[in-house]
Amino acid sequence: MKTKRRFKKRDLLGWLVMLPTLILFTFYVWEPLLENVRLSMYTAKRYEIEAFNGINNYIGVIHNPDFKDAFVNTFAYTGWSLVIGFLVPILLGILLSEAVHFKNLFRVGIYFPNIVPGIATALIWTFFFTPGETGVLNILLSKIGIGSLTWLTNSKCTIPLIVATMTWKGAGSTALIYMAHISGISPDLYEAATIDGAGLMQRVRHITIPSLLPLAKTMLILQIIAVFQILYEPMMMTNGGPNGASISLMMLVYRYAYRDFNFPYAAALSVMICIILILLSGLYMKMTANKED
Amino acid sequence: MFFSKYSEKKDGVIRAYDVHANRVKVVCIILLIISFAITIGCFFPAIWVFLASFKDIREFTRNVTILPSKFSLEPLIETWHTFKFGKYYVHSFISVIGCLVCAVLFNGLLAYGFAILKPKGYKIALGLVMWSLLIPSVTSIVGLVRNISILGMTGSYIPIWLSFGANAFYVVLFKQFFEDLPEELMEAARLDGCGVLQIFTRIVLPMSKPIIVVVAIFAVTAAWSDFLLPYLMLNGSGKETVMVRLFAFKDTPTNAVQVLRAVLFSIIPPTIIFAIFQRQITDNAAIGAVKG
Repeated sequence: MKTKRRFKKRDLLGWLVMLPTLILFTFYVWEPLLENVRLSMYTAKRYEIEAFNGINNYIGVIHNPDFKDAFVNTFAYTGWSLVIGFLVPILLGILLSEAVHFKNLFRVGIYFPNIVPGIATALIWTFFFTPGETGVLNILLSKIGIGSLTWLTNSKCTIPLIVATMTWKGAGSTALIYMAHISGISPDLYEAATIDGAGLMQRVRHITIPSLLPLAKTMLILQIIAVFQILYEPMMMTNGGPNGASISLMMLVYRYAYRDFNFPYAAALSVMICIILILLSGLYMKMTANKED
Repeated sequence: MFFSKYSEKKDGVIRAYDVHANRVKVVCIILLIISFAITIGCFFPAIWVFLASFKDIREFTRNVTILPSKFSLEPLIETWHTFKFGKYYVHSFISVIGCLVCAVLFNGLLAYGFAILKPKGYKIALGLVMWSLLIPSVTSIVGLVRNISILGMTGSYIPIWLSFGANAFYVVLFKQFFEDLPEELMEAARLDGCGVLQIFTRIVLPMSKPIIVVVAIFAVTAAWSDFLLPYLMLNGSGKETVMVRLFAFKDTPTNAVQVLRAVLFSIIPPTIIFAIFQRQITDNAAIGAVKG
C-alpha cells in the first residue's frame, strides 16, 4: 500500500518536471495548428475574429488568380528537389565514403554551406545568378569562353536554380547521415560480392544503394515536407517572379497574412498545405508499404 | 606512399584488396579530384563574398576579376558604421544566448522525464512530441503569431527565446543520451534523499556535457540564422537581429557591395563557431537525424 502511494507521487513529480516544456510545445506547435483550423472558418478584422464563414475562405483562396501558379510551382519545387535535392546527398555520401585522404576536409567542406544562414545563402546566390556581365557565374563562364546566361530571369530555369541553391546549402548535412550509414554496412557483404566477381559499379548498385534505401525513404518524406513549405528562398531571390514563375504556396500565405493582413485566408491556405502534406505522406507510406509485402 | 593508406580503409565500395589493380588506382585518383572540386564548390561562394567585399562599387561592377585590387579594411569598417551593425550584433547575441539557455533547459527537462522519470502515461506526450517532428512547422506561423500578439508579447525577445524550448529534435538528442546514463547512480542519489530536480542538476547534467555541447552548437547556429519569427516579432521594434536587417535589404535599394559586406558580417560568427567545433558538428550531424 505504501509503495503504491509513493509511486503516485513520483508520477506527479515527473509530470511537473515535464510540464513547462509541454506547455511550450502546446503553445508553439500543437495549439497553432488547431488555431489555424478555427481561424480559417471565420471572418476577422486583423486578429479580431468576427463571424463564422464556413468554407468561404477556402473558396476565396482557390479563386485567387495566383493560387494556380503557386500550387503548380510548389509541386514543381518538390519535383525538382526530388531530382536534385534527393539524389545529390546520396551521390555525395557514396563518393566521399571512398575518400581516404583529406576525409575530414571533405566532411567539413560539404557541411560548411549548412552553417551559412539561409538569408545570406539566398543573397549570395542572387549575386551568382545575376544576368549580364556582372553576374559571378557569367564571369566564370566567360573565362571558359561561354556567353552570358539569363539564369533566374528565365522563367523555365527559376525553380530548378532555386532548388539548386537549397541543395548547395542542405546536401552536405544529409550526405553526412548517408556516410554514417554507409560506414555501418558489413564488410562481409562487399567481400562476398567481390568473390562473386562484382565490379565497383555493381557493388554500388547491389549493396550500397539497397542498404541505403530504408534511410532514403525517411529522408524523402522529410524533404517533401520541408520543400513544400519553401518560403524565403523565392522571396529573397526572385520575389516570386519572373511573372509568378517561382511563387510558392507559403509565399501566398505570407502575403495574405503580412501584406494584406487577411489572416483567415492565410490560415485557410495553411490548413490546405497541411492537408496536402498529410495526403502525400499517407499516400507515400501506403505505396512503400505495399512494395515491401 | 599514396595508396598504402588505402589498406586502412574500412568502409565504402573500394576495399583495401582492390587497390592493387591499376584500374582501381585510377578510379581512386579521379574520385579524389572530384571530391576536391566539390569541396571547392562548397567554399567558393563564401570566399568570393569575402574577397568581393574589399572592392568598391566601381571596381565591383566594372572589373570582373575575382581578386580585389587592394586589401584594405576601411570599406568594411565604413559599412559596419553606416548600417550600425554593432547594434544588430548585440541584438543577435541577446537573442542567441536566450535561445541557447531555453534549448538546453526545457528540452533537457522534457527528455529527463521521457528517459529517466517515465511517469505513468508519458508515452502519450512522447508520441505527440515525436509526431511534431513531422508537422509542417512553417504553416503554423499564422496561428502562432496571432497567439503571441493577443498575449501582447510582440516586440520582445521572450517569444523567440521560448520558441527554442519546444524543439522535438533536441528532445530526441537528449533522450537518447540520457537513456544510456548508468541508472545505479541516480538510484543511489534517490536513496540519499536527492529530489527529482536535484538529480537532474547534480547528476544528469554534469554527466551530459557532450550532448549539451552538441545541442548548444545546433541551437546557437539555428538561433543566429533564425529569421521568420524574429522578423515578425522584432521588425520595427528597434531590436532587429542581423538576419532581420539582412532581410530588409530586399526592399531597400542599396549598393551591391554594401549588401555583400553585410552578408559577410552575418557569416562570420557561425563560421568561427564552426571552425572551433567542426569535429563535434560533423560527427553529430548524423546521429539525431537517423534515429529521430
